[in-house]
Amino acid sequence: MLNRSEVKSFISRFPRFEDETLALYYAPRMPKAIIKETEKVVALARKFNDEVARPLCLEIDRKTHEDPDYFPLELVKKANEWGFYTLWIPKLFGGKGYNMPSLSYFLEEIGSVCVGISNVIGVHYLGMAACMMLCNTKVIKKVLSEVAEGEKAGDPCLISYAITEPGAGTDVEEVELEARGRLGCQAKKVKGGYLLNGSKVFISNGHLSKWSVVYAYTDLKRGADTKVALMVKQGMKGFSLGRHENKMGQRACPASVLNFEDCFVPDELVAVDADSIKSFTKKSPRDMNMQHIDYVFSLSRAGVGAFGIGAARGAFEAALRYANETEIDGKPMVCYEWVQCRLAEMYANVRLGRLAYNEANLANQHRGTYNLLQMKPIYYYLKYTPLPFFSTIISPLLNTSFATWLLSKWYIDWQKPGDQHLTTGLASMAKFSCTDFGVRNCQMALELMGKTGLRQDNGAEKILRDAKLLQIYEGTNQLNRINLFKSIIAPASPKAAFFEE
Amino acid sequence: MLTALNKDLKPFEELITSFSRGELKPHVEEHDRFPFGTLDVNLIEDAFRKIFDLGFLGIMLPEKFSGIGQGISAMCMMLGHVAEVDASYSLIILTSSLSQQIILNAGAEEIAEKVYPSANSAREYLISFPSFTDPGQATILPQVSSGREGYTITGKLDYLVLGNFSNWAVLPARTAGSKAYSFFLVNLNDQGVTKSNPIFSLGLHACPIVDIALDNVSARIIGEEGQGQKYFDMTSRIMHVATAAINAGIMRGSLKEAIEYTKEREQGGKAVINWSEVRMLLANMAIKSKAAELCVTQTCKAIDENLRDWGWISIASTLHVHDLACDVVTDGVQLLGGYGYMKDYGQEKRYRDARQVQALLGLVPLKKLALINEHIA
Repeated sequence: MLNRSEVKSFISRFPRFEDETLALYYAPRMPKAIIKETEKVVALARKFNDEVARPLCLEIDRKTHEDPDYFPLELVKKANEWGFYTLWIPKLFGGKGYNMPSLSYFLEEIGSVCVGISNVIGVHYLGMAACMMLCNTKVIKKVLSEVAEGEKAGDPCLISYAITEPGAGTDVEEVELEARGRLGCQAKKVKGGYLLNGSKVFISNGHLSKWSVVYAYTDLKRGADTKVALMVKQGMKGFSLGRHENKMGQRACPASVLNFEDCFVPDELVAVDADSIKSFTKKSPRDMNMQHIDYVFSLSRAGVGAFGIGAARGAFEAALRYANETEIDGKPMVCYEWVQCRLAEMYANVRLGRLAYNEANLANQHRGTYNLLQMKPIYYYLKYTPLPFFSTIISPLLNTSFATWLLSKWYIDWQKPGDQHLTTGLASMAKFSCTDFGVRNCQMALELMGKTGLRQDNGAEKILRDAKLLQIYEGTNQLNRINLFKSIIAPASPKAAFFEE
Repeated sequence: MLTALNKDLKPFEELITSFSRGELKPHVEEHDRFPFGTLDVNLIEDAFRKIFDLGFLGIMLPEKFSGIGQGISAMCMMLGHVAEVDASYSLIILTSSLSQQIILNAGAEEIAEKVYPSANSAREYLISFPSFTDPGQATILPQVSSGREGYTITGKLDYLVLGNFSNWAVLPARTAGSKAYSFFLVNLNDQGVTKSNPIFSLGLHACPIVDIALDNVSARIIGEEGQGQKYFDMTSRIMHVATAAINAGIMRGSLKEAIEYTKEREQGGKAVINWSEVRMLLANMAIKSKAAELCVTQTCKAIDENLRDWGWISIASTLHVHDLACDVVTDGVQLLGGYGYMKDYGQEKRYRDARQVQALLGLVPLKKLALINEHIA
């Protein structure tokens, strides 16, 4: 047999066994209370689906076709009333502090009824994650406490993430491309802050959000090295909302144009710039930039994976319903083997996809963004410590530069490159696999349902329309495939180069 | 490709392409908003009138019934070119031909005589048909009864193409207790006919579709009683390839727009088309698109040359083309990124239209099973 060092040597070879089988290693380390918490949010999602999403989703889709300027404000208000915009905000920042991986299951549930509605909730957490990953505790506290106040006051305060530009989509998601891309959003340092000029496009929830995390560049020719992250609020002088796009699907969630014309952003809303980076790390601004991008997308791409599986499930459920209600030659359709096999395949796609986004979440929990919050002592401490403790003792500390330094050190400077690669790679894998499953199941459902599936009032065709966007945003599925290769497979291909064709 | 095989089609092709580009292209986005937006049936009628005036609605109808008298090749060539611009209009032309073929295959010349030569407008000439239905697959069809004054039909029929536009419809109906069905000519302006609002569907928006209910509506039988399936099969065999031609046209349009866009758009400092994965996607689209055209062309040839199993070839190649089309239009959106998903570009419409076309003439899996059953019989 092998001795211990031999075992270690063999399992450390590519593909490194621990990295390939996260559930085996990390499931036992998970705090048990996470299961109860997750059951609770899934049940809540199912209740919301029964009472709000299902009765509304086709109606909203139809209304936005009748009137392309229609915004689903009632839906946002409802989600706010149900507490959905603070459930996953850490208690430290005034939220309810539910464990982040449970958000994926929640989004899948809502997405199985309507991906657009799920997006109206999920995109807010993309904004939150983008804000938090910049690690500026003072800025995070200011923005997230407004979200919590908005919930209490019945005035929803959503956050969006504004990075895509008219001439640069994929380019802003990968520093090597960003360095050569056609960037247009400029931040010019002035006394007391930055002057922001340019536009952002396709910003999900743009018209519905109070706050936006905006990436801009002090030098458009050297975008990858001069990125600045700013928090911009609706109503600020020089910031206006442009049109919102006429999309094929996910019409409950507007995709907006954000315009900035000499928009002054004061220093207290500058989350990250070149100077702030120097204060805690010796790494280059470009490396920091990529780390920020990877952190945000490691979370959001797992979330998009959950949307994809929501769509795959919605399509499967529509097909199953149809097969249960339909007869062929006097026999229930579900009695035929060919029907059973297709439905089984659709179901399997759902389960396989869920495993993929779950694997990405495990990486985030133990090797990435959630690692601090998911350590058992910290998790239970945060869970059971009363809120007043946070608001009176901890909260004032968040305004200190020491808190920002500590968070930046922990999350950014001390993150191991191997962990960064594993989390971003698995998130990309979940994103493209799950969203491909989503579109595939929709196609299978429509083939099974024929003309019945084509009618908007039956719901199946809408899922097909909704699902396609998932293969495009948060990085096209092609970029995500390349990112998976670059992040996880590349160690086995020493000659591989990226974005250098 | 069809014109390369049949030079006689060339002048016809020029007429169709100039019509599609001149008359249809400027209105694609606006027409796609139907049943919402400003477009109403009267405005659609304007486009229909032009198609009618050019004779497109009677392309396979013999000249003696004031048709053009062309074969399946001309039909496919026309549908493909129209679909490259707006496949909704291909469905209108196809529906017109489907009802005509049912009438002709049933040998009901007196009906063709009654309707077509005297028609002065598209509304009179174009006979509505449930183009997405294989009546043999349907569990429920309207019920017909015969009395001293002829046949009357009662019941519901869903998804009738152009049911709110045409004066006439060719409809399937069964007599009580019978499994077989027959086709009937029904006047859609009859008091007993109730029509729904146009149905909001996945694609092909400019071609309205409605559900109808019939209450004791008098009807004229087409051909012989109980022979509906036979007439439908004869029609469906030849017309399947016409649906393939529509999707082949959609694929051509998708590929063209993807190439144009990726040449213009930059990523990482160079044209998107110069990245190898983009080229690979385009290559796959081009291969599938060419294969689809080949399927259509060779099927038309098989039909023209009356090959022994041309009906089998027609359905098999069509099902294959539809599969290819659904892949191509999905990649077509992908290559335009976020812009491909917006209604300002044509790709999202093609993504929807191709699936809608796939559902024409009945449920795909049942067609596959019918094919293999026939093959092994």
